[in-house]
Amino acid sequence: MQRDVAEQNLSRAELQDLRNKRSGLAIFQMSWILVFVCLIIVNWQLRWSQPSWPPPGIEPPPVVLPTVATIGILVSIWFVRRAVRAIKNDEQAAFLANWRIALVLGIVFVLIMGYEWFSIPYSGIYSDVFRLMTGFHAVHALAIAVFMGMIRRGARAGQYGPTNFWPVEGAAGLWYFVIFAWMLFYVVLYWI
Amino acid sequence: MASVTAPIGGETRTIPAPSLRISDYLRWSVDHKIIGVQYMVTAFFFFLVGGALAMLIRWELLTPNLDLMANGTDYNSLFTMHGTVMIFLWIIPMMAGFGNYLVPLMLGAKDMAFPWLNAFAFWLIPPAGVLLFAGYLVGAPEAGWTSYPPLSTLFSQDGQTLWAMALHLLGISSILGAINFIVTVRNMRPEGMGYWQMPLFVWAVLATSIIQVLATPFLTGALTLLILDRVAGTSFFNPAGGGDVLLWQNVFWFYSHPAVYIMVLPGFGMASEVLAVHARKPVFGYRAIALSSMAIALIGFTVWAHHMFTSLQPELRIPFMITSMIIAVPTGIKIFSWLGTLWGGKIRFTSAMLFGLGFLSMFVIGGISGVMLAAVPVDIHVHDTYFVVSHFHFVLYGGSVFLIFAGLYHWFPKITGRMLDEGMGKVHFVLTYLGFFFTFFPQHIAGMMGMPRRIAVYDPMYTDINRLISFASFVLGISTFVLVYNIIRSLAVGKRVGANPWRALTMEWATTSPPPAYNFMGDPVPFEDPYGYGTEESQAYLDAVDRRFPPPPPERRASAPQPQGTGD
Repeated sequence: MQRDVAEQNLSRAELQDLRNKRSGLAIFQMSWILVFVCLIIVNWQLRWSQPSWPPPGIEPPPVVLPTVATIGILVSIWFVRRAVRAIKNDEQAAFLANWRIALVLGIVFVLIMGYEWFSIPYSGIYSDVFRLMTGFHAVHALAIAVFMGMIRRGARAGQYGPTNFWPVEGAAGLWYFVIFAWMLFYVVLYWI
Repeated sequence: MASVTAPIGGETRTIPAPSLRISDYLRWSVDHKIIGVQYMVTAFFFFLVGGALAMLIRWELLTPNLDLMANGTDYNSLFTMHGTVMIFLWIIPMMAGFGNYLVPLMLGAKDMAFPWLNAFAFWLIPPAGVLLFAGYLVGAPEAGWTSYPPLSTLFSQDGQTLWAMALHLLGISSILGAINFIVTVRNMRPEGMGYWQMPLFVWAVLATSIIQVLATPFLTGALTLLILDRVAGTSFFNPAGGGDVLLWQNVFWFYSHPAVYIMVLPGFGMASEVLAVHARKPVFGYRAIALSSMAIALIGFTVWAHHMFTSLQPELRIPFMITSMIIAVPTGIKIFSWLGTLWGGKIRFTSAMLFGLGFLSMFVIGGISGVMLAAVPVDIHVHDTYFVVSHFHFVLYGGSVFLIFAGLYHWFPKITGRMLDEGMGKVHFVLTYLGFFFTFFPQHIAGMMGMPRRIAVYDPMYTDINRLISFASFVLGISTFVLVYNIIRSLAVGKRVGANPWRALTMEWATTSPPPAYNFMGDPVPFEDPYGYGTEESQAYLDAVDRRFPPPPPERRASAPQPQGTGD
């Protein structure tokens, strides 16, 4: 496996460090996803206290644009994975090409969800909880997209390679987290 | 017996005794020992602040009428701040301090897995404390530490928003610290130490950290909603706007009940260490104690609605009553294991041991009143009375705080290289024990008689019992100053000790006191059983540690640093 080839370049201490960082990121993902789960529970408890959901007389938001955005970030997984593999093999040009596409897809997602956030008409608790969830997620998506942009700048300066790929791998892990969290929200907000 | 001849690695170079100045503790450092002390000192400061607030509460309650406070609202702010400070700025950070100082040492590691993150998690705490007390400038929060809406949304002043922001910071600090602990325990154990050879304190910190990463996100969620309701005009908790007032109670207690175990489980870990070391006996039921920590962590997530028996749908009461009673089982396993540890031991009645024994007796009372409260009919009868106040003080003071004191007397020599004065320690113990008991035990009776909590003006029929409680609480308050004086005096003139004054087998004692930067020379080898007291092998191991780190010469004030940590 290519991953193993990259790790053969690391010293024992560096491997230990990498192992710690991977564990730390995994635990952070498991922990922080629960904030999103908490908001889903909030959504459900509020919905149960209403006669119907959305409450009578309120139109749910159209589903087409968010679906396009969702497909976009799902596709970005493929490019991010290729980019991470490229940096471990020291293929700088391939990394930048793939990372740029993923970044563009991420920015498109944030823009579409920003539009959704502003365009839903105020309708009391329904729009409150919609804005809470999409807004909370968009803040994460935006922050991590900015982080991915910083990684791109670092990569253009040649900072990453087969012995120093953790920032790229970590940013990818955070991006996967954003996508996973969105899949939960997308289903709850638009399909259930 | 390889573990006897090479207890701490094969190196024989001299380890310079670390000479840390106060300024080293006032700035950013990534050394887990400095961070641990920073946590402890900060938390202890807030203990004194929260204690002063408690004294004001008891002063107010000396008479049935308002005397100290101008009105009931001021009193509400007082107990709100007292509860919040004691839980979020004293007990939880204090336990994190012990964990930070001890876990890497007990694992023979050079530091935590993420030193920078460790420092960052600590430095979120002082700003949170400032934010919380800044509430007094803009109108202190007055909805109690539980901050139920609509009190906390429609009535409480702007300080409530700062309260929520402070708790946000503390929650994030807690999650980051817990991630660090889990990774450290999982990845940084030395050769020869599997999970079943870990000291029980490390097990307890692991269980605590698992609760923290799984429960604290719910606090984050709840606080986010509270802040939005207060500043952004949403109505998540306001039924008039389509919200649900019970939403807060559910989400808040889903965090805050497990938080009770966040506060007490590390203390349980310290109890296992202190009782075994000072009874000179192997811990009884090592695996039972370790696994019961995990069981408490797990079951702790299923009991939250017992805080809501009076607001819950009636059909949900029985399931939560059952789970709440079940959680007494792993706790009971621990109590009996500790009794088994003491049974037949050569008990040394040191201050640490006295606080450990004090914990056992007081915590059992808190546990039994907990089972009483888990029973729905009793709970509905004494709900929101002083019985509840008494119960949770027996658990949190009689449990967590007694164990923090036990831990302080036990590990102070390791942290500073000097003993706390044992005579003053015993005075501290007696005053604390009596002051504590007579402060909180009569509250059971007041509660049974029907005295509600969170009131400044009460029926004159409760006057006598409140006088007794207040005077006892002043004794308890004074007892703390014995400890403060002891700490300050011992830092200057306390008896110097070598690496292992208690002759303990866990690895934090197999290096100088205080340990040098990076803790150990070379890769330390743990003794095969961290609680194998009373065997010839353990004697040989302890003698080897003493030879390698000989106790300092008897003179008290040496002008030069003690030459501790020289080779064999």
